[in-house]
Amino acid sequence: MNTFKPAPDRAPPSQTVGPIAWVRDNLFSSIGNAVLTIAVIALLVINIPPLISWAFLDANWTGTTEADCVKEGACWVFVSAWSNQFLYGSYPEAELYRIHLMLLVLLGVIVSSFTLPKTIRMKASITMWLALPVVGIAVLDGRMLGLPVVSTDLWGGFTLNIFMAAASIIVAFPFSFLWALGRRSDMPFIRTVSTIFIEFFRGVPVLSLFFMGSVMLPLFFEQGTNVDKLIRVWLVLIFFMSGYMAEVFRGGFQAVPSGQYEAADSIGLSFWQKTLLIILPQVIKVSMPNILATFVMLFKNTTFLLIIGIPEVVQTLQTALANSFWLGGHALEGYLFVFLVFWASCFGMSVLARRIEQQMNTDKRA
Amino acid sequence: MFKKALVVASTAAVTAFSGAASADGTLDQVKQRGQLSCGVSTGLAGFSQRDENGVWSGLDVDVCRAVAAAVLGDSEAVQYKPLTAKERFTALASGEIDILSRNTTWTHTRDTSLGINFAGTNFYDGASFMVMKDLGVTSATELDGANACIQAGTSTELAIADYFREMNMSYSPVTFDTSDQTRAGFESGRCDFLTSDGSQLAALRIGLADPSNAVILPEVISKEPLGPVVRQGDDQWFNIVKWSLNAMIEAEEQGVTSKNAKNRTVTGNPANKRLLGAEGELGSNLGLSSDWALQIVTQVGNYGESYERNVGKGSPLQLDRGLNQLWSKGGILYAPAMR
Amino acid sequence: MFKQKTLEETKAAQRRSTGQSSAASFYNNPSVRSLFYQVALIAGLLYFFGNIIGNTLANMEATGIKTGFDFLDSAAGYDVLMSLISFESQDTYLRVFVVGFLNTLLVSAIGIVFATMLGFLFGVMHFSKNLLVRKLAQVYVELFRNVPLLLQVFFWYFAVLASLPSARQSLSLGEAFFLNVRGLYMPKLVGGDLSEWVWVALGAAIVGVFFLRRWAKARQDATGQQFPVFYASLGMVIGAPLLVALLTGLPFTIEFPVLKGFNYFGGISVIPELMALAIALSVYTGAFIAEAVRAGVQAVPHGQTEAARSIGLREDKIMKLIIVPQAMRVIVPLLNSEYQSLVKNSTLAAAIGYPDLFNVFVGTALNQTGQAIETIFMTIIVYFVVNMVISFLMNRFNNAVALVSR
Repeated sequence: MNTFKPAPDRAPPSQTVGPIAWVRDNLFSSIGNAVLTIAVIALLVINIPPLISWAFLDANWTGTTEADCVKEGACWVFVSAWSNQFLYGSYPEAELYRIHLMLLVLLGVIVSSFTLPKTIRMKASITMWLALPVVGIAVLDGRMLGLPVVSTDLWGGFTLNIFMAAASIIVAFPFSFLWALGRRSDMPFIRTVSTIFIEFFRGVPVLSLFFMGSVMLPLFFEQGTNVDKLIRVWLVLIFFMSGYMAEVFRGGFQAVPSGQYEAADSIGLSFWQKTLLIILPQVIKVSMPNILATFVMLFKNTTFLLIIGIPEVVQTLQTALANSFWLGGHALEGYLFVFLVFWASCFGMSVLARRIEQQMNTDKRA
Repeated sequence: MFKKALVVASTAAVTAFSGAASADGTLDQVKQRGQLSCGVSTGLAGFSQRDENGVWSGLDVDVCRAVAAAVLGDSEAVQYKPLTAKERFTALASGEIDILSRNTTWTHTRDTSLGINFAGTNFYDGASFMVMKDLGVTSATELDGANACIQAGTSTELAIADYFREMNMSYSPVTFDTSDQTRAGFESGRCDFLTSDGSQLAALRIGLADPSNAVILPEVISKEPLGPVVRQGDDQWFNIVKWSLNAMIEAEEQGVTSKNAKNRTVTGNPANKRLLGAEGELGSNLGLSSDWALQIVTQVGNYGESYERNVGKGSPLQLDRGLNQLWSKGGILYAPAMR
Repeated sequence: MFKQKTLEETKAAQRRSTGQSSAASFYNNPSVRSLFYQVALIAGLLYFFGNIIGNTLANMEATGIKTGFDFLDSAAGYDVLMSLISFESQDTYLRVFVVGFLNTLLVSAIGIVFATMLGFLFGVMHFSKNLLVRKLAQVYVELFRNVPLLLQVFFWYFAVLASLPSARQSLSLGEAFFLNVRGLYMPKLVGGDLSEWVWVALGAAIVGVFFLRRWAKARQDATGQQFPVFYASLGMVIGAPLLVALLTGLPFTIEFPVLKGFNYFGGISVIPELMALAIALSVYTGAFIAEAVRAGVQAVPHGQTEAARSIGLREDKIMKLIIVPQAMRVIVPLLNSEYQSLVKNSTLAAAIGYPDLFNVFVGTALNQTGQAIETIFMTIIVYFVVNMVISFLMNRFNNAVALVSR
């Protein structure tokens, strides 16, 4: 019996496969595209070689003082000499392990709140998160643990940006949840107060809030009590964040299907049981990408602390640039360093946010 | 009901405050804390600057160190609180800092309306102009219509407005937040001249890519006496800060330096001995130990040493003593009699 | 959401009816509880604010800080770099406030316009067929979104604009436009007699365009015929004032910027602080808007594109007529919050010395008067109100673009 034997496939036309076709499809598909492609390539070719020679080939890498910068290119000595200041502020060198420890703990809590077994994950991670700022202050300050005291005027640098952002968003978390609940409440007065609070802290510039923290807040406390500047700014940041996060949570509440509320009601759960056990976990889950985005915003905004003289990383950089032994103009190197550090961390977080979003999408389909 | 709560709260606050003030003077608080809390600038070359190891130095910082040495016997027992120009007086009023030593100009308005006292002058300064040489300007009177680079939040902002109005000239003020930015603006050509206190002009000038390209014009358009500030209402503390500064100046007048101070307590003349606490009761009158000035001079140095180390010949700024020379050598520094 | 609310209400009603029968559990009665919570909140708030106000008054009295708004009438004593209304150093603080407010509005308006343009451009570029263009859009978004705005403001001001040539070596375009390190100088139209009629004509033309569009839409709905609205509008807006200008005998003179002494004088000048801040704000916010546009376009079902192709629309028309209008439903709420954050971020003017409200008022005025509470309070209220207005307008716009289900 004759079976039909298909002839072997003919190779596709050479113009539709292979690198040439790819280049044609993606780069030169029309005259306009070709012009754009050439323009982009030309821009890269003109700018990249001088940049490389400045940043690498002609750069000064070794030394400890300004006098060691003899070559034409970048003076990376400036960054390396000041690197401790840029990263940790004036935190005593012998105590730096505490900062590293807290960074590790922060990382550990983040990782474990995604990897713990599902049965205890929610409870354990919420407890850990809420304990984190207390532990953090205890370790970094040292007073409560009997370690040498490191007062807040010595804290600084990039780690201060991280800790300020992390500590405010964590403490703001429960408050924002309450504000979001308040805004959804049936009680008219509570709803009004919550709405005003949320809209106020979302509607005014964060810089003005920082000024409130630095100039106005001292007047609010009873005479004779003075609250540390960093703590005041932290308070303000907590208020600011709880306004923003409340809106994130409100979105989360709306995304939870109403069947969930009804089901919880039908098995006779009380309001708080329903909210904390059934609704909150789902709200946190759907809000995760937005929480991360809010955190990135807050993290970037911590640079505004410069304007009120908190020694975060940009402020430290400006201090370094004004130092009379480093007056040779190293602004470019310094800002490039700060730029890279910030960009890397924010980009990392936005990639993470996208991952989580995709993961949740697949969850829904399954 | 609201008003009542308000009244109750405010009276409570007032009584709490007055109670606190009478019970605990600043001196007791500092001793109890074991550290002096000192408000300084966030970074001003030669006056208060932090180095790459986090160590503070500068002429203003030395005032803090002198007071700490006098009160606590340790010039390193200082908590430095870097402050912006805007928050400095609030920080002092709220008790966050014990002294403000942040190149603050002693003005009538500030002294009388902000609840503060100036404890003396540690640097006599005056606003002046710096221009690029190729502009061909030799006097400030030729600056009509020019752009000015100014650092925001300084009294220079007011002084220059007055000056140009008086001379019937116009200018555009370009204000920057920090001295480094002011210099960058000037260097890029955004402005024709840079105006600031003379000491800062010197610092900004050496930061230029080519310092020889810029000149400082002869005109000095304002008086800027800079000095440490304390809260009103605590005279003992006011005296301590005032006389700590005077002790540094007096030490220079008497030729007492950080190196010979120890010896002078034995070999010195009566004035030396009185200053350094070997004779007399200067220390106990202030509520301090008798060797308060000895501690200042051995740990911080006399005014001249501090000057040369921070802004004078021993520093990159290379400032002349000028007005800040002793009265006996052509300047106007004059410590009241130490007796 | 509504469903569940009504459910809760019915439940509450049930509870109320059962609660009345057993008097012992009156504290379980939801209305009693809600009353209790609210009274507790009121009391707490009253105590809190009473305490704060009392402390503040006591503190200010103790330290001798002046209070009240009297300072608004006293002379400021300092100059402001740029003002849209005339300002001298002897004018009052109130005028400083107005000058700053107008400057804030100016930079925010410029920022919003350019951020929207950049955002839509790069958002749509994300869907380009050219790989490089696609990558460029991605790089733009990821680069500018993830760097603190403060650094970007510094970058544009101290790295880009500060490297322009000095006033005497300005880049010039036909001896009319000059660009140098001190800003951009442009010629200005100075109106003479009768020139106001030209502006009246322009206004009339704009109103005319509005009615033309309504008429054209009605006609298209009725007959399906299209009217070249864009070109007709353009003709009206340019033609009407031009015609009036010719009829009145060109009552304009052009004032060119001229180099006198240190600077260019005359014409319109745009200071580099304004340029840097406007660029930084638009580029930064543009990156967020580009993401919003991308999300909006992706939210439009692919079937819409296919349907549009099947009726033979060109690719560029598909984007303009089919995709973007539908994407607007997703985009507009996001735009609302982006515009608001742009206005708030304009306070970074303080970092480079652009005299916006924050800089001249919370910056210099606060510094000179020491009246922290009054200055900060006034400023905060202004930003709050501006943001409320933006929110109101955008919500109106949102209602306009929302899908009308028939």
